Amino acid sequence: MFLSFDHVSLDYGASHPALADISFHLPPGGFAFLAGPSGAGKSSLLRLIYGAEKPSEGTIMLFGRDSAGLDRAEWTDCRRKIGVVFQDFRLVPYLSALENVALPLKLAGVREDYTRRHAAELLAWVGLGDRLEAKPAELSGGEQQRAAIARAVVHKPKLLLADEPTGNIDDETAIKLLYLFVEINKTGTAVLLASHQQHLVERFGKPALRLKGGRLIPPAAKAA
Amino acid sequence: MAGTERLFAPAFRYQRLGRLFVAITVIMVYIATFAMAAEAGLSSLGLTRGEDLQGRLTVEIPAPADESATSQDSRIDQALAVLRAVPGVARAAPLSDADIARLLKPWISDPDLIAKLPLPALIDVQRAPGAALTADALEAKLKPVAPGAQVEDQAAWLGDVAQFIKSLAVLAGVMIVLTGLALVIAIGLICRAVMATERETVTLLHIMGASDAAIAGHFQYHALRLARGAAALGFVLALLSLAALLFALRHVIDLGAMPLWREVELILLLILVPLAAIGAAVLAARHTVFALLHTA
Repeated sequence: MFLSFDHVSLDYGASHPALADISFHLPPGGFAFLAGPSGAGKSSLLRLIYGAEKPSEGTIMLFGRDSAGLDRAEWTDCRRKIGVVFQDFRLVPYLSALENVALPLKLAGVREDYTRRHAAELLAWVGLGDRLEAKPAELSGGEQQRAAIARAVVHKPKLLLADEPTGNIDDETAIKLLYLFVEINKTGTAVLLASHQQHLVERFGKPALRLKGGRLIPPAAKAA
Repeated sequence: MAGTERLFAPAFRYQRLGRLFVAITVIMVYIATFAMAAEAGLSSLGLTRGEDLQGRLTVEIPAPADESATSQDSRIDQALAVLRAVPGVARAAPLSDADIARLLKPWISDPDLIAKLPLPALIDVQRAPGAALTADALEAKLKPVAPGAQVEDQAAWLGDVAQFIKSLAVLAGVMIVLTGLALVIAIGLICRAVMATERETVTLLHIMGASDAAIAGHFQYHALRLARGAAALGFVLALLSLAALLFALRHVIDLGAMPLWREVELILLLILVPLAAIGAAVLAARHTVFALLHTA
């Protein structure tokens, strides 16, 4: 299985679990929104996928492996097949846009000349070809998120996770950004995009996993 | 393209942690270089003094109080004849005026004054290997020809001095080890502080697929960069201080007494101090980061 959750729960010890009995799967090259209001558990679900959290119950299969059986080195390998975009961008503030985008390739030990060229091409693709040397603080919110998206896909991940990537930007810019994710998906990268902005989710007509109170809402229940 | 080598640089560079790192390394290398010089110097002193004085006795023939008595030269000749006839004496030779002047130089530098003083004559006696020759036995044999002659066995006090020097050398060695430990602990604490400051970046790098070794590698890079300059500075300052100290004590310490091979050995030992400090700094940074990542 490329990515699947089988009765997964995540319990922080609070009055109710962050996630309860979540089951779904995403095929290679698939696209799905993860919709729901703030606090529904979208970020927790994504954190489970990239290994920042461990499930309290259930099984997560990632690239054909049970994530519970991965050691630190195997997690490192898995994460190199994943790109992550955050709501707050998380660009390294003292590195330029180009250096930020190049980071995953540099960490993977990719050659310098390829790294620079590919990072610059990606920044041009997201519309920041003239802002290569700009520091994050010199970029607008939309520009920062585009740089963050470029960084998330620079190493050609098999799976792209986006946690409220349009949460901090206006609707017009958000729609342009979401089209970037659709374009990335067309290259074969599976995309799981969390958003609380229902109108944006519906606009794209893609499958959506709807979360509420840490539980998935079945499509029938949503329709009802 | 610069980039990954600048990761964590602000925490080291701008938040005083780097300056603290450099200051601690400079001080530790300075102290350790001094301690190493002391250790090597004391060991060398023990070695050369041991080689020089082991098995030697010094005969002291007081200057005659009465000018009419047998002349001092005659007493010395008679004493030498007695000494050379004793079984177990390998060699007996009087110290020349120049030798005595050299021994007295730290206290009396005027040769004319030395010539006027009623100084005792000194005879250096070398005991034959394995010979059971005592100072008392020699004194008894000398009594008829040189009344009042005293014999001092160097081995008697040499043992105590050698033990004292050895203790000082061990103390210096302990000081080097403690200094190294202090350096490792201090750098570990600094790296912990940097990790705390850069927690978000470390998490981000992990999510991007950076291995623990890669993250530790960045810390090692900064530790190496800072420790290199700091160790060199501490070493140079220590050398200058040592040079100044030796210059100030040039009348007390005879540098010419140290054999060339010991000088070369001493220099190589001293160079080991900054190199070891750099290595310790890099390893401390690596170990700290690994330990923190594995407990996170």
